[in-house]
Amino acid sequence: MARAASPRRRAAISVLAWIVALLIFFPILWTVLTSFKTEAEAVADPPSFVAFDWTLENYFVVQERSDYFRHFWNSVVISIGSTIIGLAIAVPAAWAMAFVPGKQTKNVLMWMLSTKMLPPVGVLVPIYLIFRDVGLLDTRVGLVIVLTLINLPIIVWMLYTYFREIPGDILEAARMDGANLRSEVLYVLLPMALPGIASTFLLNVILAWNEAFWTLNLTAANSAPLTAFIASYSSPEGLFYAKLSAASTMAIAPILILGWFSQKQLVRGLTFGAVK
Amino acid sequence: MNMRAVLGAATALTAVGLTAAAQDATTLTIATVNNGDMIRMQALSDNFTEQNPDIALEWVTLEENVLRQRVTQDIATGGGQFDVMTIGTYEVPIWAAQDWLLPLDDLPADYDVDDLLPAIRSALSVDGTLYAAPFYGESAMVMYRTDVAEQAGVEIPDEPTWSDIKAAAEAMHDPDNEVYGICLRGKPGWGENMGFITAMANSYGASWFDMEWQPQFDSEPWQAAMNDYLELMNNYGPPGASSNGFNENLALFQQGRCGMWIDATVAASFVTDPDDSTVADSVGYATFPSREGVDNRGNWLWAWSLAVPSSTDAEDAAKRFVAWATSKDYTTLVAQEEGWRAAPPGTRTSLYQNQEYQAAAPFAEMTLKAMQAATPENPSVDEVPYTGGQFVAIPEFQGIGTAVGQTFSAALAGQMDAEQALQTAQQLTQREMQRAGYID
Amino acid sequence: MATQHSRSAARLMISPAVILLLGWMLIPLALTLYFSFLRYNLLMPGTNPFVGLENYSYFLSDPAFTAAMVNTLLLVGGVLVITVVGGILLALLLDQDIWGQGVVRILVIAPFFVMPTVSALVWKNMFMNPVNGLFAHLAEFLGLSAFDFLSQAPLASIIGIVSWQWLPFATLILLTAMQSLDSEQLEAAEMDGAGPLSRFWFIMLPHLARAITVVVLIQTIFLLSVFAEILVTTNGGPGTASTNLTYLVYAESLLRFDVGTGSAGGVVAIILANIVAIFLMRMIGKNLDA
Repeated sequence: MARAASPRRRAAISVLAWIVALLIFFPILWTVLTSFKTEAEAVADPPSFVAFDWTLENYFVVQERSDYFRHFWNSVVISIGSTIIGLAIAVPAAWAMAFVPGKQTKNVLMWMLSTKMLPPVGVLVPIYLIFRDVGLLDTRVGLVIVLTLINLPIIVWMLYTYFREIPGDILEAARMDGANLRSEVLYVLLPMALPGIASTFLLNVILAWNEAFWTLNLTAANSAPLTAFIASYSSPEGLFYAKLSAASTMAIAPILILGWFSQKQLVRGLTFGAVK
Repeated sequence: MNMRAVLGAATALTAVGLTAAAQDATTLTIATVNNGDMIRMQALSDNFTEQNPDIALEWVTLEENVLRQRVTQDIATGGGQFDVMTIGTYEVPIWAAQDWLLPLDDLPADYDVDDLLPAIRSALSVDGTLYAAPFYGESAMVMYRTDVAEQAGVEIPDEPTWSDIKAAAEAMHDPDNEVYGICLRGKPGWGENMGFITAMANSYGASWFDMEWQPQFDSEPWQAAMNDYLELMNNYGPPGASSNGFNENLALFQQGRCGMWIDATVAASFVTDPDDSTVADSVGYATFPSREGVDNRGNWLWAWSLAVPSSTDAEDAAKRFVAWATSKDYTTLVAQEEGWRAAPPGTRTSLYQNQEYQAAAPFAEMTLKAMQAATPENPSVDEVPYTGGQFVAIPEFQGIGTAVGQTFSAALAGQMDAEQALQTAQQLTQREMQRAGYID
Repeated sequence: MATQHSRSAARLMISPAVILLLGWMLIPLALTLYFSFLRYNLLMPGTNPFVGLENYSYFLSDPAFTAAMVNTLLLVGGVLVITVVGGILLALLLDQDIWGQGVVRILVIAPFFVMPTVSALVWKNMFMNPVNGLFAHLAEFLGLSAFDFLSQAPLASIIGIVSWQWLPFATLILLTAMQSLDSEQLEAAEMDGAGPLSRFWFIMLPHLARAITVVVLIQTIFLLSVFAEILVTTNGGPGTASTNLTYLVYAESLLRFDVGTGSAGGVVAIILANIVAIFLMRMIGKNLDA
């Protein structure tokens, strides 16, 4: 409802929006700023915003202590791997639910979502024992399996709500025009489904990237992603705000940037069929 | 659907990831706590890998509570994720009794086991066999700001009583300038606030259990200790004390926010580190306080130690690493790199006979004195059925200590008074001990 | 429309997802159920005898259990209220014609990308810390004494942190829903002399109902198992002031290593989560069909 507003009103609203947005963003900004301070400046009172000696030292210290790139790579493999496998399982399921709905479709969908409500701590020990016995502890494969399963309900749900928006009539029309199944899928369905799949992909990568329970408890050194990397900066000895900030910035920057760049696709996926 | 292509891509991606991690040599996974001395060990570990090119090291560095959860979970289920674990004097006897740890009875001759401080060595041994090698050891003592004390016109005796501490805290307390009289642990946890409060209670003549394993929180010494603890913290403590553990208090002291701090002796080498501490030049030391008429100074004794779990698949390499990290040579290496002051304290007699160390570490004498005075096999003035100074060496203590710690932390946060807190602690401990079958 | 043939094809397409989720649910659940009838403490390995319902009675009679129930509800409810109300207000604001709309939107959604561990660490240390935190500096600047958030108002602080993480999510969904509203409808109402408030109440809000339901559903799923934020900031304390059900189960099984009681707690939590789930599904199912 972006109607033409009087310039004065527009200015007032813009200022207000900017203030609110900056307040919401401030904790992240502050973390990034602090990561460039020395430890002493990080706790200085009164704190300074930009007028301090900018230093990259914290980043070097953090990198030396815990190999960032390995954790980063683990995060990439685990979040993208689990998302791709999850999509491979979920696309057919959501497709079938959307285009061939049965009496039980809705119940199946709801049941799937309800599996996500189980508290993970309640089943950690059983999973740990199973993983020990099949040799999946501290492996990326193990984490990919777990993250695929915990996020599968969300993927199915998102794809389902998205696919449902694709009008079934188009298929009929294409069929009448003599399209075979292959060209039907390739030229009609895929182009319409791709944006939904893309946004599901993005959201799921974010969820998997930030998952901090299983990734911390099932890993040691080999497969530890960034969530484990950040765990070693929780209340260490001595002054640590600047190092904590540097490690935090390193942990969230990749996904933040990805999120920003793909904002449009993400928003579309996030609506979960909320908008008709 | 192009499922095959998608799956193929996923497999390829995973495969790329897996090959990237391929290692040729033996890889040791070391679980350790994110304390300064361990971070330093990690930084110096190139020395080990140069001497042992066939061994590669992987580090899992975690905050104390998380570390404890991870290693206990792994060792109890035989997960085998770690080859070297950092554990304390509480775990070693319990875990060794379960055959979870490999005995360290074949350490090289130049390791000189007899050089270990007797109190520490006995705490890490079961039936005379050593099951973990001490990385650093500690007792507890008072650390205070000599400059603030002087300004406030108080003198803290070498062997203070709790009344002396209270008087000094009152005199030094200057919240307008953000200097708080005393910093003590308040963060819940059996190894956090309960470590301190248990030692404090010991020095008041209290104990956790009587000979029948009945909890003793309803006794007079506990009441006195709890009242004084709350009074000290509420009147002269920093804000937010109920979430301050060792590390938080260390940061506060290093910033000059604490007049006094009663905690682990190992802190002395950090508060005197001119790089990190703004008060490095003006720290004084005194023994852990006692109560008038009670001959007990808390009996705090702890050693972060390196142990090799029986589930390891690299026993030989793991033992080599443990021997390296707790050797005399390692101490010398730290001294070369960072100066003698930074040497890991509290494990070896030879360190305290070293002239250079004594000169560089003004806290050496007080540390040694505190460690020699601690008698964890006999923690309370009363006769008790358990051992352990600032903890009770039974497996159930982790659970009980954590729950009681939460209660005392709630008292410190002002949610209940001392009497209520002790009552809750009494009921809670009784409940757990009944369940565990110690009492009916 | 759907033939027998396409029905069986559909079943075939759904089955991998269903079988995997069923396995993921049933296998650990069966083990958890089994453990919950044993005396099983990781620190005391041995025979793990069968003890019937002892673990359940022990868990349910724990004074912390009631507290955890209440805290769980407060946490979920509190965050939902804040994010839905805040989300609507923010969406209204962002829906206006403002300068730099794209940048503003980027700033607002940023918290959603931050790992829970990171956001908890940052809030705890750099903002809420009563000595070195920014809020303490601010209070001092204003001549007030520093407020100790995590010990004086632990649950409220955690609600605040979690709300910060989920506000962008609610805002985005509500904003998209708002933008799909037919502006002619609003203009028509305006012509009819409806004030801004009644326009919002009678046209905007009903239009948003569906979006709000989705926000509530998805967030509840994640909020029931909030854990990292509590572990990092308060450890469930002081006392049990910020212990939720998930954290209590964690404390039993991984701080006390009493897997038996922890499993019993896990089963209780699963039952409660399913009650919430059924309730939610009813509500959402109705709203989504509409």
